[in-house]
Amino acid sequence: MNFLRGVMGGQQSSGVQPSGAETIQKLCDRVASSTLLEDRRDAVRALKSLSKKYRLEVGTQAMDHLLNVLQTDRSDSEIIGYALDTLYNIVSNDMEEAAESEEENQQVQTEDLGVQFTELFMKQENVTLLLSILEEFDFHVRWPGVKLLTTLLKQQGPQVQQIVLVSPMGVSRLMDLLDDSREVIRNDGLLLLQQLTKGNAAIQKIVAFENAFERLLDIITEEGNSDGGIVVEDCLILLQNLLKYNSSNQNFFKEGSYIQRMKPWFEVGDDNSGWSAQKVTNLHLMLQLVRVLVSPVNPPGSTSSCQKVMYQCGLLQQLCIILMATGVPADILTETINTVSEVIRGSQINQDYFASVNAPSNPPRPAIVVLLMSMVNERQPFVLRCAVLYCFQCFLYKNQKGQAEIVATLLPSTIDATSLSAGQMLCGGLFSTDSLSNWCAAVALAHALLENSTQKEQLLRVQLATSIGNPPVSLLQQCTNILSQGSKVQTRVGLLMLLCTWLSNCPIAVTHFLHNASNVPFLTAQISENLGEEEQLVQGLCALLLGICIYYNDSSLENNTKEKLKQLIEKRIGKEIFIEKLVFITKHEYYSKAAQKPQPSFSSPDHMMFDHEFTKLVKELEAVIIKAVYKSSEEDKKEEEVKKSLEQHDNIVSHYKNVIREQDIQIEELKQSVSSLQAKNEQFQTTVSQQLAQIQQHKDQYNILKVQLGKENQHHNTHNSNAQVNGFQPEEVNRLKEEIEELKKQQDLLKGELSEKNVLIQNLSSQAGAQIGQVTGASEEAAELQKDMETLRSQLIVQSSEINRLQTERLELLQKLEANATKTASGDHATEPKNNEHEEKLANLLKELNSTKEELKTVSEEKASLKLELDSARSTAAILQDEKQKLTLEVIESKKEQDDLLILLADQDQKILSLKNKLKELGEQVEDEDDLESGDAGDEDDLDEDGREDDI
Amino acid sequence: MAYAYLFKYIIIGDTGVGKSCLLLQFTDKRFQPVHDLTIGVEFGARMITIDGKQIKLQIWDTAGQESFRSITRSYYRGAAGALLVYDITRRDTFNHLTTWLEDARQHSNSNMVIMLIANKSDLESRREVKKEEGEAFAREHGLIFMETSAKTASNVEEAFINTAKEIYEKIQEGVFDINNEANGIKIGPQHSTPGSPGSHMGGQQAGGGCC
Ligand SMILES: Nc1nc2c(ncn2[C@@H]2O[C@H](COP(=O)(O)OP(=O)(O)O)[C@@H](O)[C@H]2O)c(=O)[nH]1
Ligand SMILES: [Mg+2]
Repeated sequence: MNFLRGVMGGQQSSGVQPSGAETIQKLCDRVASSTLLEDRRDAVRALKSLSKKYRLEVGTQAMDHLLNVLQTDRSDSEIIGYALDTLYNIVSNDMEEAAESEEENQQVQTEDLGVQFTELFMKQENVTLLLSILEEFDFHVRWPGVKLLTTLLKQQGPQVQQIVLVSPMGVSRLMDLLDDSREVIRNDGLLLLQQLTKGNAAIQKIVAFENAFERLLDIITEEGNSDGGIVVEDCLILLQNLLKYNSSNQNFFKEGSYIQRMKPWFEVGDDNSGWSAQKVTNLHLMLQLVRVLVSPVNPPGSTSSCQKVMYQCGLLQQLCIILMATGVPADILTETINTVSEVIRGSQINQDYFASVNAPSNPPRPAIVVLLMSMVNERQPFVLRCAVLYCFQCFLYKNQKGQAEIVATLLPSTIDATSLSAGQMLCGGLFSTDSLSNWCAAVALAHALLENSTQKEQLLRVQLATSIGNPPVSLLQQCTNILSQGSKVQTRVGLLMLLCTWLSNCPIAVTHFLHNASNVPFLTAQISENLGEEEQLVQGLCALLLGICIYYNDSSLENNTKEKLKQLIEKRIGKEIFIEKLVFITKHEYYSKAAQKPQPSFSSPDHMMFDHEFTKLVKELEAVIIKAVYKSSEEDKKEEEVKKSLEQHDNIVSHYKNVIREQDIQIEELKQSVSSLQAKNEQFQTTVSQQLAQIQQHKDQYNILKVQLGKENQHHNTHNSNAQVNGFQPEEVNRLKEEIEELKKQQDLLKGELSEKNVLIQNLSSQAGAQIGQVTGASEEAAELQKDMETLRSQLIVQSSEINRLQTERLELLQKLEANATKTASGDHATEPKNNEHEEKLANLLKELNSTKEELKTVSEEKASLKLELDSARSTAAILQDEKQKLTLEVIESKKEQDDLLILLADQDQKILSLKNKLKELGEQVEDEDDLESGDAGDEDDLDEDGREDDI
Repeated sequence: MAYAYLFKYIIIGDTGVGKSCLLLQFTDKRFQPVHDLTIGVEFGARMITIDGKQIKLQIWDTAGQESFRSITRSYYRGAAGALLVYDITRRDTFNHLTTWLEDARQHSNSNMVIMLIANKSDLESRREVKKEEGEAFAREHGLIFMETSAKTASNVEEAFINTAKEIYEKIQEGVFDINNEANGIKIGPQHSTPGSPGSHMGGQQAGGGCC
């Protein structure tokens, strides 16, 4: 208080006690007008210390000044810190601090003040300012800033949320508080985020986007999961804010594989550890978080995919361990049962797993049996018994297999008398003296029959041994017996719900029920009696049961046909009254409560009247029963026909359902075989790719070796001065070889031509002498020959030059080779093997060269002989020409002679003709003219031939 | 479930251009002709493979309306990729691209990969924006471009996967700081699970079981 005195100066010592308002006003003036920062800072500090005691005064007078300080004195973190603290004090309704106030502030007033001052503060720019101040790292600024914003959010949540949303990076900056190294700020940051995310889906999503799940789960792990302190609790509350009713975030949580990270939370099983209050709280929240993800109110797809993951990652298994563990506090156990319930609800795999869980007792008992034992045990807490019922219901929800298993434990053919069974537990509960057990067992059994006509019929076979000496009684009969004994309302409501469920949609069960002659009179008596309010519920349910007996009646019993029962209602009860009693059910407040959600939850055991699934059944049946009761018999008949055709349809449908089921199984099998084939295929492919890789490896190795070899050669060659020559040799040799080949070919060609010519010449020489007529042809051929010989000659010239070139090249090569050989021979020892190779190569080359030489020699020899032949051919040609000329001359001469002869002949002919004419004139016989004429016609030819013949 | 990398995407663009349909087509391989108007932001996820590596894509589909702009802005900074979508049958959605791009560039980290998507390519008869115009816009602003149809699924896979490839390449080039999760990239979980620290509890059992 020394400091306060200092601030207030001498006023106190003067004895006049100044009012708080006056002091505060002075301080405000100083804050507003002082130019010295120190002065302002002191004044704000003074305001802070007065702000609890004089909350109203400081709030009303100083608010504006404080906001001004926040704006103008940003550079001084100390004064900002005081200002924020002061603002926090006047805005906050924190009870602890309010209690310090000496004034008798009632809580209501305090809360009013908080709201009023928050409203004063609530301007967009003020909140934005506060957000920017939170970026300040200084502890004395950030901490009060966080607390102030948290308080503002508590009191004006939606408004502040909206401002944060529109300020750039607003949410993201607040998320950074989680990374603050100072635990106090991180923890208060958690509280701030809790307020920030309350009821605002947009902010929840942004916070999740900013990796909140990761960061919160990390903190929880670091703090030791359920063994962690209140920080873990705060993280869990924040997680719940982010996930509850937010399917986008739930999807993100699942897709981010965060469900897997929840599993270690529940590794608390049998470890004999203590259960601190904090641990119980933490585990509670953890279980609730699991339930948020698989809640029956979530979109069905969302819940089922989370359920799947929870089984796959072992979370469900972990929960079942807690379920069967000893030493778990009852409320944790209860919540675990509720959690397991929702994790398995409607999920066949999870339900199957749950059915297989055994309690670690000796001998091991199925968890289901152990749980049912608690349900029908009066000493167990009510909430726990409700939880077990819920669990059992969830186990049977959409689970025909599970329903059959439960009913089977009661059937004579499958009953196992040696061990406790679920059926035994349920029957025990049904007929115990505890009405709660009766109710729970009846509802549980009803769930084994829901939407399952097979089990409804099966259950008719169940017989109960009552007392020694008496014959066994059917379960159905035993239920009606107890009903008529006038037990507690709860018991009768339970049994009536069981009977209604059992008989609905099951004409055989209806027949069984009607078969007992006392049942219908009992029901009509119940309905028609004028009883107190307590009994009205029972009356309503009795009306419902009777209605079911009418609606699902196949009229197989003569005394209890549809028609007769309707008449009975009219006579004994009256239609109106009957309907009135019936509709009482849905008007009951317990009915609407139970209709809300699947989990049985009742504020007290007495309120335990309706089951959720049963409310659905009532809704379905109410209208059709009212119709059925009002309908005439003709309408009934028509209805009957329609029903029959519907049944037929149903039969067809169920037939197809079976077909589909079978096909499903086949598809499943095929799928399995496909996947196994795929697996095999993958195996093969991997083997193939392995082998390919090996081959590639080998290839690579081979290539590398090749490259190395090349390198070694080069490397080696650099030691040799005539590396180039070595490199060149094979090419050179090849080229030479090719040329030689070429030459050989040409030579062959020439040879051919030569021999042709030889033949020609021979022909010519043989023909020349004998046939004069062919002489011209021969001379032409001779000319051609000459041409050929010309080309041959030029070819020969080309060849010989080529041969010359080759020879010189060869010589050069030889020289080089020799030089190389000597160099190689003088090379160092390390390269000896290589040298040997080179020597070999050289030797080969030499050989080739030699053979080339020889070939060349033969070529030139051939050339020479060709020349000779050509010469001789030329001379023959010349001779031939001479002969030709002679022949031509002879031909000319002989032609002349022929001409002369012809003239002589013509003269003689003339003479002969004139002589003949003279002879005719003289009357002498003369030779035929014809002969003469014909002789004239062929004379030339004849003469020619003759001439030639003469010549020879 | 294990992945090598996780990329965060956002989908932005005017309302009605088909953002939600694109996401649904990518995650569920189906088209929903009558789609609820997106309120705020919706989440979707899928695993893809690039370069033989499993990559998890986490995608936030935003609402296009002006009133949700400030909410959308909160998602830019933490995203590694953005799909900026317009509708080829509505020129105004193309005209608004500049505004969207400015908003995105201003609030995102500079390395964010932006893919420009011209959606509803199946409605060729009602086309108002030529493909060339989209290409030119993309070239001018350094974006990848693709025409898609959420209805026929044409190019939808490619749009999401090519964006991932671009991010992946940037990682390989060392452009992205992959240790800063604020960039919208996360390296896959190591095989060790976050173990629970050894429990150190003792004391007597409390409460009673049910049996
Ligand atoms: N023909 C066609 N219609 C589309 C396509 N994509 C979306 N739509 C339709 O466009 C409307 C708006 O789609 P929606 O995804 O809700 O747009 P958002 O507001 O960007 O999320 C819906 O009616 C869709 O059916 C597409 O590729 N082709
Ligand atoms: Mg949308």
